[in-house]
Amino acid sequence: MKRYEMIVIGAGPAGLSAACVAAEAGMDVVVFDENQRPGGQLFKQIHKFFGSREHQAGIRGVKIGENLLESAKNAGVKVVLGATVLGIYKNKELAVRFGGAVHNYKADAVVIAAGASENMMTFDGWTKPGVMGAGAAQTLMNLHGVRPGKRVLTVGSGNVGLVVSFQLLQAGCDVVAIIDAAPRIGGYGVHAAKLARMGIPFHTSHTIVKALGGDFVDGAVIAETDEAFAPKPGTEKNLDVDTICIAVGLSPMSRLADNAGCDIVYDGAKGGYVPLLSDEGETSLSGIFCAGDVCGIEEASSAMIQGKIAAAAAARDLGYLSGEDFIQKTGEYKDSLKKIRSGMFGPESKGRADIARTDEGYPLSRSLLQRGFIADDEVTGFPSIAHGGGTRAVIECTQNIPCDPCQDICPQGCIEVGENITSLPALTGNKECIGCGLCVGVCSGQAIFLINDDFEAGYGTVGLPYEFLPLPEKGAVGRALDRSGKEICDAVVVETVNSKAMGKTPMLVMKVPTASLAGARFFRADADGARKGG
Amino acid sequence: MRIASHPVIEDYVKGKPVRFFFDGEEAEGCEGEPVAAALKALGVKIHRYTVNRHEPRGVFCAIGRCTDCVMTVDGMPNVRTCVTPLAGGMRVETQDGLAPLKARRVE
Repeated sequence: MKRYEMIVIGAGPAGLSAACVAAEAGMDVVVFDENQRPGGQLFKQIHKFFGSREHQAGIRGVKIGENLLESAKNAGVKVVLGATVLGIYKNKELAVRFGGAVHNYKADAVVIAAGASENMMTFDGWTKPGVMGAGAAQTLMNLHGVRPGKRVLTVGSGNVGLVVSFQLLQAGCDVVAIIDAAPRIGGYGVHAAKLARMGIPFHTSHTIVKALGGDFVDGAVIAETDEAFAPKPGTEKNLDVDTICIAVGLSPMSRLADNAGCDIVYDGAKGGYVPLLSDEGETSLSGIFCAGDVCGIEEASSAMIQGKIAAAAAARDLGYLSGEDFIQKTGEYKDSLKKIRSGMFGPESKGRADIARTDEGYPLSRSLLQRGFIADDEVTGFPSIAHGGGTRAVIECTQNIPCDPCQDICPQGCIEVGENITSLPALTGNKECIGCGLCVGVCSGQAIFLINDDFEAGYGTVGLPYEFLPLPEKGAVGRALDRSGKEICDAVVVETVNSKAMGKTPMLVMKVPTASLAGARFFRADADGARKGG
Repeated sequence: MRIASHPVIEDYVKGKPVRFFFDGEEAEGCEGEPVAAALKALGVKIHRYTVNRHEPRGVFCAIGRCTDCVMTVDGMPNVRTCVTPLAGGMRVETQDGLAPLKARRVE
């Protein structure tokens, strides 16, 4: 029986991070993963991550995945793919199936980083081809380059539903609607706003009743929900869709820990049955640790830190890390974890519907929570949404989410978030914006717009993030859309900024009448607009 | 149904084009991509019919967990097509219960 000092189960963000820390400490470590590629779900995450610089904020998940694989390679981590861990037995013996045979291993420490699986909901027709998990759609389009369908209904408005819907648009699919049984949108307002300003309708307090069609989906019936989330008779609406993406949460895959004999508890806020853990991630069984979504549903950013903490604890227990080094190392990790977990969407606030104001005391936009966009009369008052005078950033970031790259990237120091990364960004006011657009490109929520009132008599410009193809060229004509996706005026593209520093989030600058500067937030090229411009 | 150009993803990791057989007809996909991805690109929606109620099933989780997308591949039934790499000459058949459904093609 082959022995390793550490066996890690799962080569996702938590598992690979754990393996790197263990290997760097000098431990003999192997990672088993049942998939054909390492990285877990990171390579499907083509959006920019939130957090601070230490969490690689403003960098796309796929790039973070590449960095992680590079670190694992440099640390000498061995990853065995196509390898399914069948069980963890007494004395940390593992049975692993790969290459058509079952192999047995013995470990001094085990890190279970098995991740999570998508939740499902049942409704009439839910088994028809065309109904799929939002993660399945993401896998098909972002990993394999295949569209999951043409016209999509997204069920669930948490961050997964919102992010996948945006990615469906980037892949060239139509998103017909996003529904949620709850009366408010579950994910970040900035993610919802990106969709709303493109005209994607949100139906909160709505559920799916039925998938229409014979052998596969060719429509969906949705209906309003009552207080118990049940459909109200007589409120049914038909939608013309061929694909239904279900994004109703994730569940920790804690079965291996359960099977090993670890104490398991049900914790609704964490997404289901989770192992009981010490604050170092150790289960009730000495030497068996858990990290990542298997401990409770969070972000990949926190999974990576949890992996590091667990591995550091194992390294200390096995004599590879002194108590002092452990305290120093994990102190940094724990601070970092605390930061990324803070704010109104953090694990401690998850599911709370009673938050009405930001930490700073600003009233939360009701319209943003219900319809996905900030209403015109709610826009004013925020510290980063100022009107009048030259070129400036308008930051429509109105909820306390853990993110601050805008503060770091501004070469002029115009933007301030402060020490607490969930604080709303504020314009410092005493520094001059040079209109570089770097903040527009770096903002993971695509919530920053560059406004110039003084473009020419009667006209100003709005610079906006535009992550779509084709990127309209200078001179292209079209219509400006407001935050709700409604066309409000004619617009002409006067510039596009797509330098390497923008990280594939180009800034499109459009000219609109001065009166429309406060409302114009997206550009839709006329069908022949690109040609006119070209 | 394949994405020709994408604003963020520069290029997908894809193998060379290969020919395979879907329900007896020649088709093209990329070597190494999941069989289910190749079928999705061709517009195939139905992977199998259930044993008892004869209901259609297609891609559901796409990561090898749910077993909805199983088909008969090279004569072997119940192969999870979403995690099985496509190879040239592969014979992929819509499954009817546990047996291949003979030469029925649904677009």
